[in-house]
Amino acid sequence: MTISRRDVLLGATATAALVPLAARAQTSEVVIGVIYPFSGGSAQQGIDAQKAYETALEVINKDTDFDLPLAKGEGLPGLGGAKVRLVFADHQADPQKGRAEAERLITQEKVSAIIGTYQSAVAVTISQICERYQIPFVSADNSSPSLHRRGLKYYFRAAPHDEMYSAAMFDFFDAMKKKGIKIETLSLFHEDTIFGTDSGNAQAKIAGERGYKIVSDIKYRANSPSLSAEVQQLKTANADVLMPSSYTTDGILLVKTMAELGYKPNAIVAQDAGFSEKALYDAVGDKLEGVISRGTFSLDLAQKRPMVGKINEMFKTRSGKDFNDLTSRQFMGLIILADAINRAKSADGEKIRDALAATDIPGEQTIMPWKRVKFDETGQNNDADPVLLQYTGGKFVTIFPPQAAIAEATWPMK
Amino acid sequence: MTAQAIIQSLASGLLMGLLYGLIAVGLALIFGLMDVTNFAHGEFLMIAMYLSFFLFAFFAIDPLLSAPLVAAAMFVFGAVVYLLVVRFAMRAKANAGMVQIFTTFGLAILMRGLAQFFFTPDYRSIPQSWVGGKTVSVAGIFLPEPQLIGAAVSIAAFGGLYFFIHRTDFGRALEATREDPGAVALVGIDKNRVFAFGWGLGAALVGLAGAIMAVFFYIYPDVGASFALIAYVTVALGGFGSVFGALAGGIIVGLVEATTALLLPPSLKSVGIYAVYLLVVFIRPRGLFGSM
Repeated sequence: MTISRRDVLLGATATAALVPLAARAQTSEVVIGVIYPFSGGSAQQGIDAQKAYETALEVINKDTDFDLPLAKGEGLPGLGGAKVRLVFADHQADPQKGRAEAERLITQEKVSAIIGTYQSAVAVTISQICERYQIPFVSADNSSPSLHRRGLKYYFRAAPHDEMYSAAMFDFFDAMKKKGIKIETLSLFHEDTIFGTDSGNAQAKIAGERGYKIVSDIKYRANSPSLSAEVQQLKTANADVLMPSSYTTDGILLVKTMAELGYKPNAIVAQDAGFSEKALYDAVGDKLEGVISRGTFSLDLAQKRPMVGKINEMFKTRSGKDFNDLTSRQFMGLIILADAINRAKSADGEKIRDALAATDIPGEQTIMPWKRVKFDETGQNNDADPVLLQYTGGKFVTIFPPQAAIAEATWPMK
Repeated sequence: MTAQAIIQSLASGLLMGLLYGLIAVGLALIFGLMDVTNFAHGEFLMIAMYLSFFLFAFFAIDPLLSAPLVAAAMFVFGAVVYLLVVRFAMRAKANAGMVQIFTTFGLAILMRGLAQFFFTPDYRSIPQSWVGGKTVSVAGIFLPEPQLIGAAVSIAAFGGLYFFIHRTDFGRALEATREDPGAVALVGIDKNRVFAFGWGLGAALVGLAGAIMAVFFYIYPDVGASFALIAYVTVALGGFGSVFGALAGGIIVGLVEATTALLLPPSLKSVGIYAVYLLVVFIRPRGLFGSM
């Protein structure tokens, strides 16, 4: 059937509600919207994400031999072997553009679900649009804790959020203290959008509960031309641990400025983002020997679970990079979403939502060190165990928690 | 807050301010010459940084050595942009000002898009250069060598510019064209040539700044945006069209930024700059050293 623009305009509510249903009913393919920054300052993240989703798509649509949902056989058996098709949209790191693109994907492209978004600030608006149209939104790689606390029915996140990550960091500090290492004072350094703000708040809260003293709490303007004043304050405070929450550009500038102003902290424990990016280590990796960042992914896992290494190779031929914390979550996000669509046996948003809510995938059937994937009533997976990784000799090794660790932490950094 | 921290902040602010001045002066020059605001100024900076990066990556030329090369290439680039684009925008009969704004603004978006297409949005940086990452320490005050060199280049460039404008024939022609473009045609000066030269010179100056910055800043297609905003404030603060206003404006912006960040939470550090800027524009709309 064809839908003319006039049809859509005729009775906006009725058409919007009914036409997509009719159009989706007998398709041989299921369309999923993927929203990322493909232009502007974070465009590289979008481009890497696209490669991760295409890798997942290959696992889903082609016959592969991995112990992952949907890997064996082609397409979605629950829908008669229907293939998944991805439509990519560019939000340019702008929440309003994200909102418009989500609306376009739902009404024009007839997507059955949306996945995204790198920036948490954009996930906020997109998930609201999805809620209104009753289309599931899978937050693959956003880490702001406030996202799943808005009472949305169509919001799902399989990965940990920043409070879980931050709690893991403080668990690690507690463990180090038991070994007799002095960790009393902390410096927080976080950017001023929702990611940095939520991360800083989470860290300040846990620090207070567990008796760590925050000697400087610097909220800085993202993409500043200079960070010398900020670094000057960090240097004056000279805490036992510096805890940055920064995207790549600010991370590079922070590390460069620290070196220029002669500030070398005992330890840096970073909230991922820029500190999991290859570009940052290409630029200033020589100054970051021993830096610790949180993650949900570690290539070490390939030693225990060989498929992790094989899927990483698939991604690497596409992107020229190893999976990192972001791209691994994006890959898993699409697998989990497609698995739900398959079980829903339908391309209808509401049915997919119910299938997502019933998800229960054991950790071994993922490429992550997670216990399992099972969403609570807010759409959050609380069994996604974070790991801490240390940058040693040009790569990351897992140092915490003990059951996932393959090396002891080096402390101080170097 | 220790005395050392204050001096350190002021020193960092001054070094950064001199560089802001060098970034802004090309903008001031072009505006003074022909009343055109180049909204692609930040993208000129970005192109210069990439040039410097590629000269380093492919030919291992240190950015300090390649700076004159980058400036020369940017000179040609600026002149070509004038001859191929801006010249035609200036012929608009209606809404000339708007046409110029949208032309240079469109140029900015085009350049950003092309940069993203050809260079990819990945973040680049020059990890090893002669001065990169090195720091001079005087009585506990840290002065990064790249910024020190940048400040020296900035002062030298302003000196050279002063000499050029006041002591050479072409400089005088530039000044004359700026004062009365109609009259210079009568004495046989080719207005288009002077304008093209002015665009070249403006681009060469921001090119110099870009080459120096490539040593200590990261490079990506959008990098010009944050500096362009500061450049516009610098020019408006120092005085539209005034070359030495740009120098003074840059230093003021650098120092105000550093002191604000010292006194207020760092996320508010641009507030100081814009407060001073608003104040100046209210009291003296042509800027501190503006002559028009």
